[in-house]
Amino acid sequence: MGAIHSEFLKLKRSLTWAIVILLPIALVISAAANTLASGEPLQNGWHTLWQRSIVFYGLFPLAIGIAILASLVWSVEHRGSNWNALMSGPTPSLRIVTAKAVVVGFLAAAMQPVMLVAILVMGKAVLGLPGMLPVQYFGISLLIMAACLPLAALQSALSMLMRSFAAPIAVGLVAAGISVAVLMLGGTAAIVSPYALVTRATQLGTGTFSDTGGVTAGDVTAILTAAVVLFAAVVTVSAAILDRRDTRI
Amino acid sequence: MSYIVATEGLTKRYGTRTVVEDLNLRIPEGCVYGFLGPNGSGKSTTMKMLLSLIQPTNGEVQVMGQPMTRATRRQLLAGIGSLIESPPGYAHLTGAENMRLIQRLLGLNQQQIDFAVHTVRLQDQMDKKVRNYSLGMKQRLGIALALARQPRLLILDEPTNGLDPAGIDEIRTLLRRLANDGVTVMVSSHLLGEIDKTAHMLGILSQGRMIFQGSRAELMTASAPDVIITCSDPRTAVAKLTSFNGRMTDAGEVAVPALDDRQTAGAIAGLVHEGIGIFGVRRDEQTLEDVFMHLTAGGGL
Repeated sequence: MGAIHSEFLKLKRSLTWAIVILLPIALVISAAANTLASGEPLQNGWHTLWQRSIVFYGLFPLAIGIAILASLVWSVEHRGSNWNALMSGPTPSLRIVTAKAVVVGFLAAAMQPVMLVAILVMGKAVLGLPGMLPVQYFGISLLIMAACLPLAALQSALSMLMRSFAAPIAVGLVAAGISVAVLMLGGTAAIVSPYALVTRATQLGTGTFSDTGGVTAGDVTAILTAAVVLFAAVVTVSAAILDRRDTRI
Repeated sequence: MSYIVATEGLTKRYGTRTVVEDLNLRIPEGCVYGFLGPNGSGKSTTMKMLLSLIQPTNGEVQVMGQPMTRATRRQLLAGIGSLIESPPGYAHLTGAENMRLIQRLLGLNQQQIDFAVHTVRLQDQMDKKVRNYSLGMKQRLGIALALARQPRLLILDEPTNGLDPAGIDEIRTLLRRLANDGVTVMVSSHLLGEIDKTAHMLGILSQGRMIFQGSRAELMTASAPDVIITCSDPRTAVAKLTSFNGRMTDAGEVAVPALDDRQTAGAIAGLVHEGIGIFGVRRDEQTLEDVFMHLTAGGGL
């Protein structure tokens, strides 16, 4: 727990918080702006607003957001001789990697409540939608948060291995694009990719892309299982890689 | 004697370039070990191998009697504080926040933190962001971070780099105090003067090879200083001592290199026999700097 606690201390005065707040708000605003600009009311009320913001968010902005968070979280370790300090301490590599993945995962998941609040405010105050966001979307939000964890661990690993700030983000963008394509062509099996997993979770219950429109127990189980298994696998593998690497000269 | 650090044939190669070659380091417990060498001689690479930050190409490292490998390092590193290349620290956090981080990470108590901060005399700068620290303050914070875990062994890579004379002196005093408290300190420098009077043991590295290892006194003997003879007729004396490579100094004295005590006695007897009046015979005062230059030149630089 000490490692995780100390990782959270490092987030003080960090830019990551700005990403967590601004990225979801920007996406919901752009979804609403499109709607207002088209001049037509939302066909299906809350459902349509959800699709335009969350489903779009899941196609690639979420992956990019997580990639930026991971690069921000790791950038302090690549600075100066902090890497030497990190690797010449007694904290086991697995604990270091897990703590980082948990922190990036926490930040990634934290974007979802911000997104929810932004959608509610936008739907009620700006678009004047009747009623309330369907309750299933609150449950789906929890699933999306869980689905963020393996991707957070993977982007964290990439940012750990690459000293560059931008390179892991570029990798994330390409991988997200490929995963979305595979998800549309190949269906749910694509969720073995953490990128496809978040996309799948954001499409759940919307009937968009490969989604059937319903939310079944099978869907939920598949997403949760993939989240847990992938997170554990990515963290274990990246800790082993960290352990076998020499520090840069 | 028990060694807290011992290496056998430690070697690091990158491709065909050998950075460290066949190093047999011996650091006795409780001493200040000065690790000297010009820039690029392999000091940092050696220290990184001691910490298992990089793996040796050949040879092995023993720390506290155990082999230092990737499998054992995290356990051994609990007893080692280190500062490699430049001081660590998170620039966006204050000194106090940096210390709190290490406290949480290593599960240390507040006394250990306060002790480390007071040892480097940084207690009045703890609320400043590290970004706004001077280099000397960053160095001291780096040392405090390394000291907080109360290590048995402290490995410091050029800790006086970029410090002003007062800062250098303060670090020297600190190292001596730590050694008195039983901490073994390995400290590297490319400047002899900086660790000259602090170190009990010296290791000198040149182009990746150890050209000397031993005490300061042994180092002085290893390169026997010139015998300086003041006499009534230096010109004749030099002519008499050509077989010993005797030469005339600027001060009108006769300097003879590499003479042991018996040879010195023989040479003086010879001069007296020639009727030359001997006013004085002494060993040249040589600084560690001279010895160092002498050794590195002998090392094929």
